[in-house]
Formats: sequence, C-alpha cells, structure tokens
Amino acid sequence: MSALAARIPSREQVGSYLTWRRLPTLLAIGLVAFAFVYVLFLAKIPADNGATNWRTTTFGSAVHDPSSFLKIVLDSLTFAAALFIVASGFALIFGLMRTVNMAHGAFYLLAGYIAYEVQQKMNGSPGISLDTSQVSTWEWLVPLLIAAPIIMAIGLIVQQGLLRWNQGQELRQALITIAVSVIVADQIIAHFPRTVSTGAQKYGGNAVDLTWPGWTDRFVNLHVGGVQYSLARLGILAIGCMVGLGLWLWLYRTKTGMKIRAGVDDEKMTSALGINIQRTFAIAFVVGCGLAALGAVVWASQSNISSGQDGAWLLNSLVVVIVGGMGSIFGAAAGALLYAFVANFAAAYLPSTGPDCCTQYSTIVTFVLIALVLSFRPQGLFGRPG
Amino acid sequence: MKKYKLRSWKSAAVVAVAVTAFAVWATSSLAASHAATVKVAIMTDCKGAFGFGYELDIGGAQAAFAQYAHGKPTNKAKPSAGMTNISVNGTPVQIVGYGCGNDTVPVAVTETKRLMEKLGADVMVGPLSGDEAVYVANYAKAHPTKTFIIGTAGSEDPTMQIHPANLFRYHGDGAQWNAGVGEIAYKKLGWKKAAIIVDDYSFGWTSAAGMILDFCAVGGNITKRVFPPLNTTDYAPWVRQLPPPTQVDGYFSAIGGTGTSAMLKAYEQQYGKLDPNKWIGNLFFGFLGADKTIAPKFVGAYIGGTGTGPGLKTAQAKAYEAVIKKWYGPAKLNPADLFVANYYNAAWALVQGLAKSGGAVGTALQAALPTKLKEGYAVSRGGYAYLDSRRQAIQDQYQLQLVKNADGSVGPQTVAYVPAVDQSFGGLVKPTDKPYGRTVPSCKKVVTPWQGKIKVVKNGVITSQVYK
Amino acid sequence: MSPATWTHQQRVERTIAAITLVVLIIWPAAGFSSYWTHQILIETFLFGIAAASLIFLYAYGGMVSLAQTALFGIAGVILGNLATASGAGGTSKGLHLGWDPTLSLVLAIVGTTVIGLIGGAVASRNTGIYFLMITLTYSVIAVYTLGQVTKISGFSGIGGINNYTPGWIGNILAHPNRLYYIALGTAVVAYVLIRYIVRTPFGVSLQGVRDEPIRMGSLGYAVPLHRTLAFGFAAFLAALAGVLYVWWSGQIAPGNVDLPETISLLIMAVIGGLSRIEGAWIGAFAFILMDNYISTSTHIPLIGFGGTLFGGSFNTVIGIIFLVIIVISPNGLMGLWGRLFETRRQTTGGESPDAPAAPPAGPPKVSPDRPTT
Repeated sequence: MSALAARIPSREQVGSYLTWRRLPTLLAIGLVAFAFVYVLFLAKIPADNGATNWRTTTFGSAVHDPSSFLKIVLDSLTFAAALFIVASGFALIFGLMRTVNMAHGAFYLLAGYIAYEVQQKMNGSPGISLDTSQVSTWEWLVPLLIAAPIIMAIGLIVQQGLLRWNQGQELRQALITIAVSVIVADQIIAHFPRTVSTGAQKYGGNAVDLTWPGWTDRFVNLHVGGVQYSLARLGILAIGCMVGLGLWLWLYRTKTGMKIRAGVDDEKMTSALGINIQRTFAIAFVVGCGLAALGAVVWASQSNISSGQDGAWLLNSLVVVIVGGMGSIFGAAAGALLYAFVANFAAAYLPSTGPDCCTQYSTIVTFVLIALVLSFRPQGLFGRPG
Repeated sequence: MKKYKLRSWKSAAVVAVAVTAFAVWATSSLAASHAATVKVAIMTDCKGAFGFGYELDIGGAQAAFAQYAHGKPTNKAKPSAGMTNISVNGTPVQIVGYGCGNDTVPVAVTETKRLMEKLGADVMVGPLSGDEAVYVANYAKAHPTKTFIIGTAGSEDPTMQIHPANLFRYHGDGAQWNAGVGEIAYKKLGWKKAAIIVDDYSFGWTSAAGMILDFCAVGGNITKRVFPPLNTTDYAPWVRQLPPPTQVDGYFSAIGGTGTSAMLKAYEQQYGKLDPNKWIGNLFFGFLGADKTIAPKFVGAYIGGTGTGPGLKTAQAKAYEAVIKKWYGPAKLNPADLFVANYYNAAWALVQGLAKSGGAVGTALQAALPTKLKEGYAVSRGGYAYLDSRRQAIQDQYQLQLVKNADGSVGPQTVAYVPAVDQSFGGLVKPTDKPYGRTVPSCKKVVTPWQGKIKVVKNGVITSQVYK
Repeated sequence: MSPATWTHQQRVERTIAAITLVVLIIWPAAGFSSYWTHQILIETFLFGIAAASLIFLYAYGGMVSLAQTALFGIAGVILGNLATASGAGGTSKGLHLGWDPTLSLVLAIVGTTVIGLIGGAVASRNTGIYFLMITLTYSVIAVYTLGQVTKISGFSGIGGINNYTPGWIGNILAHPNRLYYIALGTAVVAYVLIRYIVRTPFGVSLQGVRDEPIRMGSLGYAVPLHRTLAFGFAAFLAALAGVLYVWWSGQIAPGNVDLPETISLLIMAVIGGLSRIEGAWIGAFAFILMDNYISTSTHIPLIGFGGTLFGGSFNTVIGIIFLVIIVISPNGLMGLWGRLFETRRQTTGGESPDAPAAPPAGPPKVSPDRPTT
C-alpha cells in the first residue's frame, strides 16, 4: 500500500512536469485524448432535419453505432496488414543496410503488372477483368510465384551492380535508387499492360485488375453487432500476420536472421567476426523485394494496379517505416497500424458538416499527424535514438 | 587522372566560341517558313492518365484535314507519323508539332509555350484534359492574336468563367456529357433518392454536376455526396460513407479511371454483388478501357455518354464514320470515341474558318470560325451543333447502356438522345456562379430544356418514344 | 581574397562566369530566338534559384530537403490569391483579393519564409533520412492542400497571375524581356546572398552544426535554431523562385508541387552538383535543355529500351543520365569540372557527394546524416 502511495506523484512532481517546455507534448496528448473521446462518445449522426455541427459525423459515435465502428476497425487492421507486407520489405533493407530503397514502389508496380499478365494468360480471357468465380486458388498463386522471383532477381542485380560498392554512402544510394525507379517506372508505362482485348490500346500503364480466388468472395459472420465482414479482407489480415510471423521466426530463430540482426546492430563488428556481411545484405535485399511483390499481388487483387501507384506505395512504405522506427519489424508493424488507423478513421470520423467539410481532407490530416509524430519522436515510435 | 591544366585564356576562348556556335545553331533551328503558311499545333497527351489519347486525337484531327484540306497521311496506321500537303483554298497549312502533355499544368505550360512560341503556331487544336484547358484559356487571354480550338477538355471554366474571345469549343463539357442520365434514373429506374461518389477534383465535380443537375431537376434528391481524394489507396472507408442500399435507390459514380474498379470492388466487399440497376457511372464505366474491366460486372447499367452516339444509324453519323475509316482505317480508330470525334470536329471547324478568312489568322480567323458545325452525331436543329455566346457548343448528347454484344463482349450502346444540351443547362448555371465544386450545384427542382424530351434510341435509331 | 590569391581553378571559373554574365546581359538585345530567351533561360534562372536553395541546405546544412518545390508552390499560391482580382474577365479560382501587387509580392515572400521557419522548427530535431521524410510529408500536405482546399486553389490552380505585376515592373506580357532581366538579376542576387551568408558567423556555425551537431551543442550553439533559420532562408529562396515562376507561366496548380516535380528539382540539383551552389544553375540548364529538346514523343531506340509511344523515352533518358552522373561523379557536373583541375591527388572511385571546402572549414564528413556515437 505504501509502495503504491509512493508512486502517486506528489504535488511538486506534478508541478515540475507541467512546465512550458512540456507544453507541446501536453497539447499533443490532449489532442489525442480528445480524438479518442470524440470517436467513442461525442460524435453524432446528422439530425433528422439535416442540421449539422462540429459533432456530426457519418456514423456517429462508437457507443451509438458499434457495428460501424467495428467494421472501420477491421478495415484499418486489414489495410495495416497490406501496408505491413510492403513496408516490412522496405524496413528490412533500410534497417540492415541503411539503404533507402526508393525503387521499392517501382518494384511493387512491376510485380503487379507481371502478375496481371500471368493471371490473364492462365485464364484465356484476354484483357477482360476476371470475375472471382473464374479464378481458382492456383490461378492466384501462380502469378505470385512467377512475379516474386522475377522481382527478386531484378533486385539482386540492382543491389549487386549499383549498391554493393558504395555501401555506407546513404545519400548516394538513395539517389541511385531514385534513378532506378524513374527508369523502371517509365519502362513499365512503355511495356505494360500487354494483355488487352482486341481493339483496345496496349501499354500506357492503364489500370488493370487482379482477382481474388472465388472462395474469398463471401462474408464472414462475426457474431458481434451483426457485422458481416468480407473474407477477402480478412485474408489480407491473415497473410499479413503470416508474413509477420514468418519474418519474426526467420530473424529470431534462424542463423541467417541472427546475422541480419547482428548486422543491424553493428555492421563492422559483424564483418570483423568473419560473417559474410555482403551475402547477408544480398539476402535481405532480395527478401525485401520479394515482400514488395507479395504486397503488390495482394493489393492488386484487392483494388487494382496502375501507373502512379509506385509513388504512392513508396510514400506509404517510407511513412510506415519512419514513423514506426527504422530497423525493426516490430516498428514497421506499429507504423503500419498507426498509419492505417489514422487514415481510415480520419476518412470515416472527421466531422461531415456538409459536402465541403471535412472527410475529404483526411489525407491532409493524416500527413499533418505524421509530421507531428516525427517531430516529437524524431527516431520514430520504436526506433532507438541515434 | 588527367593532369593537363586548362591554359586559361586560350581555353576560355575556345569554350566561348563553342558556346556561341551552339547557341547560334540552337536558335537558328527555327526554320524560316512562308509568310502565308498557317501553322497549326495539335496539343494532346502522351503520358499520364490519358496518354493513349495521343494517336486518337491526332488521327481525328488529321482525318478532318485529309477530308477537307487535301491532307495526305504519312502512315495510315500511325497518325502521329504526320501529314503533308494540307492546304485550304491555296493557303498551305503546316502542322508544326504535336504537344505531349501528361494531364498536369506544368507540362501543359511548357508544351504550350513550345508549340506557340518556339514553333510559332498560329492555331492550337487542343488540349486534351480539363486542367490543361484552364491553363490554355488563361494563356489565350494573354495572347489574343493566337487562336485556340479545344480538343476534348471537359472542364467548365474555359468557356463559362474565363471565356476568352479566341477560345472555341465545339463539344460539351463534362457536365453536358451527363445531361439526361439523371432523368433516366428517375423515370426509367425509379430512383427517388440517390448518393453520389466523386473524385475530389475538378473533372470529378464537373462530371457529377451533370448527373446532379438533371436528377434533381426532375425531382430526385441527392442525399449524400462522398469525395475520396485522388490517388486514394484504400476505398473502403469512402464506400462505407455511402448510405447502404436500403437507404437509397441508387448510386451515381464519377470516380475516374485509376480508381473505378478499386471503388467497385470495395463496394462488393461491403454489400455483395453489384446491381446494375442501382449504379450509374460516368464515362469511366464504359470508355477508356473500362468496357473490359468494369463493364462485365454491369451489364444493363446506364452510363453517361461523351457527346458521341456509338452505333447511331443516321446518314450523317455513317458519313462521318466512313471518313474516319477512309483515312485511318488501318489505325483502327473508333469514330465514336470522344477523342477522335472531338478533335475531328475541331480541325474541321478550323478548315472552315480558314476557308472563310482566306487564309488569314488572328482575329480574322476568330471572326470566321463557324458558329455551327454539322457534327457526325448531331441530329437536332438540322443536324448542327451551335456555338453559344461564349463560343461553347450546344451539342446533342447521347446516354448509353452497357450491353452484351453478339460476340460476347460488353460495351456501351446508345439508348437515349438528349437534344441540344447547352452548358448553362437552360440558364441554371451562370458565368457568375462559382465553378462546379462539392456544393455546387445544389439540388434544385427546375425544368431543363430537354426535360421530358429525351428520346429512346433502339438499335441506333432515334425513336419517337420519350423516357417517361 | 584578392585576385592574386585565387587558385588556378578559381581564376578560370571566374573568367568564364564573367563572360557568361556579359553574354546573358546582352542576350535579348542580340536578337537570338525568343524561345531561348523567354523560355529556356528564364526557366534556368528561376529553377536554378530553387535548386540553389536545395543545394544550400544540403551543402551547408547537411539537410536534404524535398520541401523546396512545395515552398515554391506556396509562394505562387499566396501571390495568386492576393494579387488577382475576380469579376468580368478575371480568373476563376482563388480568393481574388486584388491587393496591390507590390504588397502581394512582399507578403508572398514573407509568408513563405514564415511557413518555412515554422516547418523548419518542427523538423529541426530530425536529421538525415528523418528530415528527408518530414520534408516529403510537407510536400504531400502542400499537394493535397493546393488541390482540395478549393477556396485558395483547386485542381486547375490559379491562373492569369502574370496580369498582375507590380507597377515598377510593368506589363511583362507585352515586354517579356523585363521578366528576363528580373529573373537574371534575382538569380545573381540569390547567388551572391548565399555566398555572403555562408561567410557570416551564422553560416560558419551552420557548417559546424552540419559536421558535428553534438559538439556544437555542447559548445552552447543552439543547433535546432540554426537548422530552423537555414530552412527559413532556403524557403525565402524558394519563394523568390516561385514568384518568378508564376510571373513567367501565369498559373500555379497542385501539379507544380507533386512528387515528379520534386524529384525533377532534386535531379537538377544533383546533376549540377550537390556540393557547389553554381551547380544549381548548371544542373537546371542541363535538365531544361533536355526537357525541351528531347521531345517527349521522340523515341531514342537504343537508350529507350525499345520503348513505345507512351514511355521509354524522355524519363528513361533522364533517369539513365542521372544514374550515370551519380555513379561516375556524385558531385555532378561541377564535380567533373573540378576533376579537370586536380593534380596528382589520387581520387577513389567511391567518393561521395561532399560539402564544399569553403575557407576556413576542412573536408567534411562522408555522410552527414549518419550520427556519430
């Protein structure tokens, strides 16, 4: 009892905490707390007469409409899983080699288009979007199994040819990968999509779809609040968890993983201990590219693939990894969760006082929050200072 | 490493001479041309979202030059290979260059300046996209001696709010393209309440405006407007904001090419299979590749048109389609494609203007450009599209339905004819109004000029039956 | 430093600079093509200023900023909103306050600098990749704000801004040479200003902060303050460039500040050389030349990897050139130039973009963003 009493801060301690220097932190904590309270309790649906105020949102508060809240939570979780798959590849490369692989988005895009070509060829309906009933599990897996090794091979060539000899010069490597991304993105527009229906225009980087296998096209009854949720999205969550588990097992239970973690901690020492650090780098880069390919196949099935997404997914990966804290898979997961939740909840729960405000500003709100997180914790949520 | 040092003055002199020579070469690469030659630039996109419009636009424009100005295509399978021998009543016309935009303003700036200033074009046929056209309209205002005939840009501002005296548009804007589809939703499909999901940018708002104006005019009510930002990765939270199918009779969509299938997949994952009677899309549901990605899910759905009537069997339409086939058959241009048709009409108007002005450009040409054009798919008022007081076309519109063709493919088919749609929707939209946006237009019950006059089109024939 | 103490390289460079300046001053009168005068050269001057702001931050502050394009756009938007007027014949977007153009000009530059100071303050504790990330975030925020907040801009942006130039400049549409001289003058002023600032006590301590932030901190220098002020100065330069741009093109839209434009500015700076301010204008000139003369619809079959109409041409070419320059000479064209003057000193193939050896500082760290423990 006295131990507990000893932990309650005394008046002087609280007073000394509440200084001017802490003001920004306190403001930030206050804002976050307010956001929680708003979403959980304060939000209201529009009144019957159409009147709106700052509390009006599309769905109302969580206590008022728990099923919508649950659906949006699940949306955020599943989107976070997709972000995690792609960003974990980026985090692996960044954490180990301190290489900002700005071509990560371009590899994503290339994988998506290659997978589309393969799936189209397997299905014999050239250029027409497939319905889920036309796609079997095998016809979804094979595109992945073909696209991923191609991307991994290209990644290996880029790493060995362009990045290996200037290890340590971070800005130079970032610029080199930018150049690679510009070239690859332009070539993708020049050569994809190739499988189009007769009379349609080839190439140009138009939007094309991959399709999930047919059995994912149903709803799962969650028995909570009467919520029926899409099995395909839950599938993304499952894949994301498997990727996370697989990476964790690989990094923490295998020898190669141990070498990678050692390299992340202290590259020079690891090399001095006789470990072939160059080979470890190559393996990490290749795995990173493979994860980008997996993420592309997953998300292209969920939405679509088109030119321009390379920039978007590079930005997503950068945000997730930096916010979460570089160098750790756990950090990538945390960053993905934060980013996905903020983006989705901003889109759903910002006040909607009318068509002009405010949900369409969700992207601006998300990035302002990202900037604030970065300014408060420059090393990311779970990064190590310095 | 090299060990020689530059002998400062001599080497500097060499460098200076080289630079001057290069400068003289570069600046003299402007070929001197005949004073009487009319220089035309065709401004289009070759990258970005509408990059594939390049050959279509150039093909359409050059087909008109070939048909009416003795032009000879260099390569009938590839319009951008060029065209020679164009002359209008003895005045030679030279195509000085093809602009290559990417749908954004900065590239439009450099391309416009390159075409009009470096290559010295007197007339521009183009541009292709809405935002580029806003820049071109402002540029036109600053350069009154040059003439600009818009290609296929669907933005409202160039002719409604900016309307410079030297800018002409012989086709409808994005709102005009959707005129009538709202009325069909109300009368044929029985929608009373609808929600609309719109790309949060200028073309999205303009396209949505056409649907909203018409639907509300006839008595419908738009209960919710959702605006996902451009380049949204995950459409799920936006689709969630739409009212569920139990609360509305239908949904309008003005989501563009890169997001359409993503948004629809998100919808399917929330509410199950798509019902074609509960969705009406803009052109992005049927054109620009969507007939292969979106349309298969939506057989039977109505979609907004683009001012062309695919499959229309009037003599005028058939004659127009024959012209396109004659000059660029091997290039497989689809005459009903808005890119082909609108650039064709723009170039044909230019030829007529030059014929009337005797080869003069500048203000003389602007006064001579035709105020009415016998466009391929025009039917009303003697088969002409007319220009209004702001040099914007009053054009017949055609609304479409996605149908399964005999060979199993799915594509748009003309099912409705909306006569003489003007940009102001019969006075509803005024130049002093704010441009189309999230709250503009509001939902008002009024009478549009074509209300109750939308005719059913069956198998390419305009029947006398009206949508009731 | 008096001319007697100049090195050989400096002597050659300054001679060439003097000759070039003279040529540029008489260029419009010499009757060369208007396209060169009013497009290529003006673009070179103004994008050179923006690239110089980026190079300044990197070379003297050790910060890679991807927000320069955004600040450039913000200056243009502020000017557009304040200076343009609505009404019959007016432009259709923006606030249309119609204020006095000189006042609008001042407010645009001051406003952007203030935004830069705020942004710099928020980002001042971040270094290296984190700083790059925060500036990229600013860039994204700028793109979406300009696109979605329709009261101040909207997707086609604000147009017709070059109708509202201050009286002491006059009508630049009728007299385009005026804009040429203003751009040239501003570029020269910007260059001189940067060279001056890096020699002031602030500039020298900024370079110290670049090299050894912890030691400088322990010596009592306010490290975040230095970074903030440096970012603010770079914002000022970007604002100058932005104002010149909207006078030149008349329109500012979200497409001017998006990711491809940001990368283009970075490419300009890197091609010129990240270690020397002069590289900004050299790189801008090279990029703009290629942009204008490698027409985007031309195919260069070998380099373009057999590309089709839609790709495999300009972007591939610029990407390859960029890659080659980084691999051969990470200090860009200015680095290649500097190598011509090297004596027997051995250069390693692995040299990295280094900050300039401005007197009296010594050679800087290899990777300023890797913190020392």
